[in-house]
Amino acid sequence: MKSKFRKHEPDFYILFSTIMLVFIGVIMVYSASSPKALLEFGDALYFFKRQFIWAILGLITMIVLMNIDYHIWKKHSTLIYVFTIILGLLIFTPLGIELKGARRWLNLGFTTFMPSDAIKLGSIIFFASFLENKKEKVSSLKDGLIPAFLVIGLSTGLVYLQKDLSTSITVAGTMLSMYFIAGMPYYVFIISGVLATIFIRVAIYSEGNEYRLERIKSFRDPFADKLGDGYQIVQSLYALGSGGLFGVGLGKSKQKFFYIPEAYNDFIFSIIGEELGLVGTTFILALYAIIIFRAFNVAKNSNDKFAFFVSCGIGSLIAIQAFMNIAVVTSSIPPTGINLPFISSGGTSLIFYLASIGILLNISRYTKIGGSKKNEHNS
Amino acid sequence: MKKPNRANFVRLKIAIAVVSLVVFFLFYKLIKIQVVEANDLKKQALRQWTKSVEIEPTRGIIYDRNGRKLAINTPSYTVWAYVSEIENPEEVAKKISPIIEVAEDEIVNLIKNGTNMKKLKQAITMEQAEELKNLNITGISITEGTKRYYPLNNFASYVIGFTDVDNNGQYGIEKTFDSYLKGTPGLWIKLTDAKNKQLPYDGEIIYEGQNGYNLLLTIDENIQRFAEEAASKALEDNKAKSVNIIVMDPMTGEILALANKPDYNPNSPRDPMDQETKSEWSNLSTEELQNEWFKLWRNYSVNDLYEPGSTFKIVTAAAALEEGVVNKNTHFYCNGFYKEIPKVTLRCAKWYDPHGDQDLYEAFANSCNIAFINMANSVGKEKMLEYIKAFGFGELTGIDLSGEQKGIIPKRVEDIRDVNLATISYGHSVAVTPIQMINAISAAANGGNLMTPHIVKAVSDDDGNLIKEYKPEIKRQVISETTSKVLLEMLEKTVTEGTGTKTYIPGYRVGGKTGTAEKIIDGKYVPGKYISSFGGIAPVDNPRIAVLVIVDEPTDIYYGGTVAGPYAKMVIENTLEYLSVPREFTDEELSETTETLIVPDLVGLSVVEATKILKELGLKYVIDYEEISESSKVTKQHPSAGEEIEVNSIVDLYFKNAN
Repeated sequence: MKSKFRKHEPDFYILFSTIMLVFIGVIMVYSASSPKALLEFGDALYFFKRQFIWAILGLITMIVLMNIDYHIWKKHSTLIYVFTIILGLLIFTPLGIELKGARRWLNLGFTTFMPSDAIKLGSIIFFASFLENKKEKVSSLKDGLIPAFLVIGLSTGLVYLQKDLSTSITVAGTMLSMYFIAGMPYYVFIISGVLATIFIRVAIYSEGNEYRLERIKSFRDPFADKLGDGYQIVQSLYALGSGGLFGVGLGKSKQKFFYIPEAYNDFIFSIIGEELGLVGTTFILALYAIIIFRAFNVAKNSNDKFAFFVSCGIGSLIAIQAFMNIAVVTSSIPPTGINLPFISSGGTSLIFYLASIGILLNISRYTKIGGSKKNEHNS
Repeated sequence: MKKPNRANFVRLKIAIAVVSLVVFFLFYKLIKIQVVEANDLKKQALRQWTKSVEIEPTRGIIYDRNGRKLAINTPSYTVWAYVSEIENPEEVAKKISPIIEVAEDEIVNLIKNGTNMKKLKQAITMEQAEELKNLNITGISITEGTKRYYPLNNFASYVIGFTDVDNNGQYGIEKTFDSYLKGTPGLWIKLTDAKNKQLPYDGEIIYEGQNGYNLLLTIDENIQRFAEEAASKALEDNKAKSVNIIVMDPMTGEILALANKPDYNPNSPRDPMDQETKSEWSNLSTEELQNEWFKLWRNYSVNDLYEPGSTFKIVTAAAALEEGVVNKNTHFYCNGFYKEIPKVTLRCAKWYDPHGDQDLYEAFANSCNIAFINMANSVGKEKMLEYIKAFGFGELTGIDLSGEQKGIIPKRVEDIRDVNLATISYGHSVAVTPIQMINAISAAANGGNLMTPHIVKAVSDDDGNLIKEYKPEIKRQVISETTSKVLLEMLEKTVTEGTGTKTYIPGYRVGGKTGTAEKIIDGKYVPGKYISSFGGIAPVDNPRIAVLVIVDEPTDIYYGGTVAGPYAKMVIENTLEYLSVPREFTDEELSETTETLIVPDLVGLSVVEATKILKELGLKYVIDYEEISESSKVTKQHPSAGEEIEVNSIVDLYFKNAN
């Protein structure tokens, strides 16, 4: 069976777009972080150096995974999933560290590690294998729906325990997207709509989470309280707006000088918009679109269901997280803290995203060649 | 191997469609923000980046006429809070409160209610600033500016005045010339980051300001010092409420010195100079304290009115001479009383021993009220009022100090009743400011020109360019030069032979007139409270200075010649020596061997007995007080019994009414 799908070159578009994003990311992390790096560490290159090293490590990871036959992930999917869940639980041991009121990191001594990044990939792999094994029963209530939602609930719940709503939404969204493509009954839309409403209401109105309500209020009119809750969004819009069509020029952002907090992280897209203008932001948006559509294309031409679901999952993950970030900085959805894949500063995130691309690229090496060509016309 | 089925592909297409929609929506949002709304957002961002900082101009320096610095600037430090950078106002307040001496809760309030940059305390010392800098607190910053400093402390305080913490002139020249001294602030427009530090980009604009102009005063530091010293001594010797001394150049109207005692230190105008007052003030409420401050800062010379008494006789004499109703040869007869007005009997100060026949000079030197009533009657009400006005009473002199008063004189001729005309002739029932009085004396002495008194000679910029010059300004000619000459002779005779002999200075020809008046408080004469004054001119052959000494509420003795005269003498003698005016001794002064004798004890004797004894001994006496009867007994004398004095000196006699 395998011989039918001769191993060939990986998807060039995905590879190129990913490298471009990582490259732009390293440059932009340097530009956006230099004021803070200089102030806090006396070295304008502080964040750049770290991001550069992570990028190299990430690309190596990607290349290695690109050359590992993806079937191995299917084989060990349960083990991988259990391992990532354990990592997630480790946060509640003394290894976990609390930053800014949230417990999301593990201290590995030489660096910090965000288990939720591992959970994302682990869940995609396990869920893909789960969906493949369900075969035609995937749409039935007892054998498909309930177990599927138990898995989704487990992954999402674990991230939600870390007080990380935005990552919970990403994980839930990614897995729901996979289940939808696998054949989720349409009635689930209505039920899940209701459940999502309840979930979001709980997330927003439950005790200790008042900050979420304030964020939603400030989303409606960020300028009403531009020194308070609307501050970040207003500053982001100032950056994007003053960038205009062609931007103020690389390295010349004014908003990165402490007007935008952590300009090299969740709001790096605003700085890109300020320095490189609409041209720059559109280019980034296009790169994401290419990766996502090519990931779906890889899925379409993949030779087994596992590869299909993994590709769909990785495409969905990148789509949900990247577009959620861009939506936040353009004031399209209520502000929530989520970083921009491949670009934002942060080692764990970059490594795992590049790892995902590595797996995706490996899958792309086993696609039907003819099909892929035909599909190119469609997309 | 399970392959994806058809249903999977349909679902995948739906997912692709959703992603496509999201991409288009985000693209639309980006165009909206980065193209459609870009200008508006950019403007707002620019407003956020741009900070304009005012560049404080240096306040002009105040010099005396010889270029000595009377008011300068010293570095001063202001403490600011960058409100957004302070996370815990309480903690910051706790740290800085003891250093900047502001209460903790006040600091917390300032920070919490402030936006952007909030001023916490102005004008702290360099030591405080250093201490604060060493603490290195985030959000607290110190800027350097300048603060007014008066190197001579309480010296010419009422001329110079002082400024508030923002360097705005509050009193004195600092206030009246504030617009010149202040300068125009510059503006520094820069782009800053969120921590208010300048961004490493272009776009800095600096608008140069203009430093304040410097002032050259007419005040002479040396003469001012003589006046200050004499005023302090007069205040102390007489235990008076206050003493005011003005020295003026009668020919130009330039104020050479102006001293009030007690005074304040313009470096800390709210702190009284002496411990006693300080402890008194510590119990006052804020409102009471404020009243005390305003009282302390009043410049008696221009802000307050007094009844001039006999010094005003200069005006009466000038009017009479100028109108020709009297001349050098006119004689007056004093029988002690003036009874021409029905139901009113006015008495001469020496009614118990009338002056009898006297010529014009004697009448002036004796300060005989009867003679002046007659003079005023001859001049007539209309003319008399004309001269009073011509001499500048009832109008502002135009001196460049704030809050000048007009004084009180009859508004119309019809307001002057016969008795008013009589009392006005010797300086009662009119109220004048000291500056009006010395200006009138100057006009009488300088050949008849009423000048505009002024205190600023010139305004110049930092490079020494003259911006404005104040030249002597004649308001009008009041009397002829001839009349002025006669008046000078009369004034000199008062000092050599009359009530002003305590101001006599061998070698210098000094002219002057004494004055004593009961104080008027709330429109009523207050018995036992006096204002004693002496107005002088020297040298009379070529007037260089006019001096007015006013002693408010002296205790015990109160005759102008005794209370104010000696201090006028101090000022005149020191000033003439300083101005290198040579002494020219008369033959009489050279040959005179001073014969001395011992003052007898006169206390307890009646007026008649006491004056008889003094006459026989060859001593003069002054009883400048009307309300005594024949049976009045001497209660006090000056000098006291047993002291050695020269023949021809004056002994002051004080009485208490017998009834």
